[in-house]
Amino acid sequence: MALPLTDVVANAVMMSALYALVAIGFTLIFGVGGVLNLAHGATVTIGAFSAYYVSEVFGYSIWIGALAALLVPALFSAALYRGVIRRVEDDPITVMILTLVTAIAIEEIIKTAFGTQPAVISSLWTGQVAIAGGIQANNLLVFGLSWVIIGLLFFAINYTKTGKAILATSMSTKGASLVGIESDRMYLYTWVLAGAFAGLAGLFLGSIQTASWSMGRSPLVLSFSIVVLGGIGSIRGSVIGAYIIGFLETFTMSYVDSSLSGLASLVVLVLILLAKPEGLFGREFTE
Amino acid sequence: MVNEGSQNDGGRCSGNEAEGERNIVSSVRANADRRTFLKGTGAVGLAASAGCLGGSSSGDAPSGAFKVGVLTSHTGTENPIGNSIARSAELAAEELNANGGVLGNDVEVSVKTTNEQPQRGKTKYEELTVSENVDFTTGVFTSEVLLNLMDSIASQQKVHMTAGAATPEASTMLKDDYEKYKYWFRTGPVNAHFLGANMVDFAEANFSDMGWDSVYVLTEDYTWTEPVDEVLRNQLADAGVEVAGMKRYAGETSDFSTIYDQVEASGADAAFVAMAHSGSTAIVQYAKQQRPFAFGGIHVPMQLPSYWGLVNGACAFGVTQNTATPQSEITEKTVPYAEAYKGKVGKYPVYTGYIAYDAVMQYAAAAESADSRNPDDVVAELESSSFTGTAGTLRYYGKDEEYPHDIVYDESGENGVRPLWLQWKPNENGDGGSQTAIYPDSLASGSYDSPPWV
Amino acid sequence: MSDTLTSKLNPLSLPLRQQLGLIALVLLAFTPFWMGFLYAGDQGLLHIRTITIALFIGMFAMSWDSVSGYTGQISFGHALFFAIGGYGSALLNLGWGVPPLAAVVLGTVLAAVAGLLIGVPALRLEGPYLSLVTLVAPLILLQVFIWRSDIFGGELGIPNPDPLVATSGFAQETYVFFYVAFALFVLILAVLLAVTRSDAGSVLTAIREDEDAVAASGLNPAKFKTFAFVLSASVGGLAGAVFVHTPMASPTPSQLLAQTVSIEVIIAAVLGGMGTIVGAALGGMFLSIFRSQLSNVDFVVPGLGVSVGDLDLVIFAVGTLIILFALPGGVLRWGIVAGRKLVGSDGAAADGGRTPVEQTLEKFREFFRGGRDD
Repeated sequence: MALPLTDVVANAVMMSALYALVAIGFTLIFGVGGVLNLAHGATVTIGAFSAYYVSEVFGYSIWIGALAALLVPALFSAALYRGVIRRVEDDPITVMILTLVTAIAIEEIIKTAFGTQPAVISSLWTGQVAIAGGIQANNLLVFGLSWVIIGLLFFAINYTKTGKAILATSMSTKGASLVGIESDRMYLYTWVLAGAFAGLAGLFLGSIQTASWSMGRSPLVLSFSIVVLGGIGSIRGSVIGAYIIGFLETFTMSYVDSSLSGLASLVVLVLILLAKPEGLFGREFTE
Repeated sequence: MVNEGSQNDGGRCSGNEAEGERNIVSSVRANADRRTFLKGTGAVGLAASAGCLGGSSSGDAPSGAFKVGVLTSHTGTENPIGNSIARSAELAAEELNANGGVLGNDVEVSVKTTNEQPQRGKTKYEELTVSENVDFTTGVFTSEVLLNLMDSIASQQKVHMTAGAATPEASTMLKDDYEKYKYWFRTGPVNAHFLGANMVDFAEANFSDMGWDSVYVLTEDYTWTEPVDEVLRNQLADAGVEVAGMKRYAGETSDFSTIYDQVEASGADAAFVAMAHSGSTAIVQYAKQQRPFAFGGIHVPMQLPSYWGLVNGACAFGVTQNTATPQSEITEKTVPYAEAYKGKVGKYPVYTGYIAYDAVMQYAAAAESADSRNPDDVVAELESSSFTGTAGTLRYYGKDEEYPHDIVYDESGENGVRPLWLQWKPNENGDGGSQTAIYPDSLASGSYDSPPWV
Repeated sequence: MSDTLTSKLNPLSLPLRQQLGLIALVLLAFTPFWMGFLYAGDQGLLHIRTITIALFIGMFAMSWDSVSGYTGQISFGHALFFAIGGYGSALLNLGWGVPPLAAVVLGTVLAAVAGLLIGVPALRLEGPYLSLVTLVAPLILLQVFIWRSDIFGGELGIPNPDPLVATSGFAQETYVFFYVAFALFVLILAVLLAVTRSDAGSVLTAIREDEDAVAASGLNPAKFKTFAFVLSASVGGLAGAVFVHTPMASPTPSQLLAQTVSIEVIIAAVLGGMGTIVGAALGGMFLSIFRSQLSNVDFVVPGLGVSVGDLDLVIFAVGTLIILFALPGGVLRWGIVAGRKLVGSDGAAADGGRTPVEQTLEKFREFFRGGRDD
């Protein structure tokens, strides 16, 4: 039985915004810091569970939980960068191994502390909105917030001093330091920002679906696909990539088979890597 | 009408071949004699010479403390399904010890977790039986784990009383080779074929009153639901219920929106579900999305009496089958057990707890009756045993019946076990919600209420 | 030529470290006897089984090392090959009644084909992108297994295929399959050592050092890299295929395809010493035994209420992080260097003294800092 197109498109539009939020943190670290942070998914999970503990277990409002979802992962990312990554950031493969192992450690800790059953996070906005056959108010809010945040980031990167400093660092650390920019501090900012975004994405994802110890895995994989498709280091590319992948995912799940979740984006990733590794908006990356 | 498990569905009752779906796995089980193997004479020769270094004892009666080996998925109060098995076995041991133990020995419990992984389950089973030399084992929630254990159980020749896994493939193995697999029993739940049959019973008795004229069957994609699907597909129509659609969803599914879109589009009055390993995500999203259909079936997470608080009331008006509830007096043992469990753990148990408790108690009684700890003697005793447990009267099918050593399912509830059905309703004072038994009538304390948003 | 061969094979003329290795192998061969001697009753059998599994993990690690340790192409999803070998063999046996030995051979062939499919794009992709493809490939396979769970069994896998050898009784089964595993282990070790210590192996090492120089000398690096992938995939697939035909493993994602399997193999090889084959074998065996022993520890962490046994993966992960910091060259290389210092020999390293890990990282450093001039 075919689902109405408007419903599916509305769903795709909203989910893609969330995917973009997830991917942006990843592309920042990759584009600026030059490393693949495989703990990105775990950061998403940390965000979701921070919000869960603050709002459900300790009983504060979900908006305070949102604050926790911003701060705790940001702190975690900063600690990860300062404690582990900074020492080995010259060696991307070591970073990949270390972040991957960190991700496993985080997942296991959450699984042990919280259990295997999913955790429920309150919606930020309850109820239904009468657009396109009825969509959840929560999804609409998440959609709106995601765009606002992405917009703010874009503005910040391109128009504020710190933002431009980060941009400069991503192009040439030597050149940047010549004009007085400390690359180490820029990397730290990048990691913190990426952590905050991931955490927020975790909260949004958790409130729409549920939170569980393994919830960060598919966002991580999605981030790969989106970032490679959109091009390394390009925020614009990440957003566009997120929409392409988001639509592909939603349409595949709605019209082909809902068990194919995630498969579409993985296949896209492999095809892009084989055909045009620099993605749509990125730099040259093959010989 | 006493139902001894024979279904009048044209004799097609093997229980594991899903019609229309070629399942490599089940076709193999059906042709068990198609086993080819290499005889490595050299290796065997060497092994035989090394074999004199460590003889294995099979069938010898253990001595000393009476040890119960428990295999469960996870432990910890945040994992209620697995924890119920472990803590209930411990509770049973404590009560037995308070009454003098078994055959004069103290009862000890050794718990090992399988993490729902078949190979880990097997390794832990071997540790329990070989290394710790337990008297018998119980537990195992995941059907895939159980099936991986069957050969080990046959090899170790110690009784195993399953508490949780429902696949009928286990008892089918006894039908093919009784002498080899006779150490296996399933104390509960009734196997998946009967679970499905019970769902159809419930439908026949209640759906027209409930307003569920058309349902969409939604089952998680694990081994145990294959027979359930088959029964529902074949028998719901005869019960006067339209099946608007059927879907098996991947257990790890995190986004049910498209699935629910399809349920809604099919026009079904309710989603008729079978969910054990998954289910929380499904009901939470169902509630958040305020879908215009009802929700009910077998939903294990919802069986937990404290579930309302865990999901912020998402289970409101949800219906689930269950083995027992803390308030329903299926037998005189049901409520005291539930209260004792709550006293020990702080929460009430889910279905696996009642069964694990029953398993330990029944085995102890059988050993006492047979006055022996030799597994072969206890097997004989169990086969003829009729024991009052918390879930009902525990009897096992015989070797010549359809499902040997499976717990007897009795629709009337008099001489076997029979699941009950409950619904979650919001409390009148507005604070939280609670479970109300709605079927069968002898145990019901209320009737079904339709969700207000449907 | 035959002189050098016999001199290579003559145990008495081998370097000390290789003599030690041979002795270790012999000791390993007699494991069932040690176990029977050390442990009463059937306890020893369980330990033999643990070691049998450890042998397979060692084989997996060796297969990873043979490509990633030598060519510097880091594979992040090597479990793909184990799974293709294992599942392929199991499905052939379960679905079409193919006898186990033939099924194993066919499963290995399937894995080799997969190695080809991964290896060919390897020619075109630079380091991290290749690693990304290897990371993603097993995820795709797992999704397919879940999607077509009627054939592949989804997250919990398919039932066991027929065992490679028929046995009766727990003890006999344990001994027989220990020797099956041991024989395969020795075979793989011998093959990989032969390849990597040969001229082909030198080329692979050279590719890791400086691919352009290799190309300049007239050899085709692409051919060698592909060869390394196919060899590695075949070995991994063979190990996976045999593994599922033993009672120690079933064709399930958690044993053959999960991300933890791929990572365990990387960690094992890196810890033991990348680019040595032997280091990987040791690392794999050690990790497997360590995790298995840890999972049995009942000690409950105070304040957390969780037993150490449930935390085994966390401890493994954290411990690895620490060791990766302290010993970047891996334990084996540290052991050999320390051993050399102990014995007093003063060997100069022919490759400039940098470990394979360092050489690989150097290459990636250039890649990532392409636009940067620091």
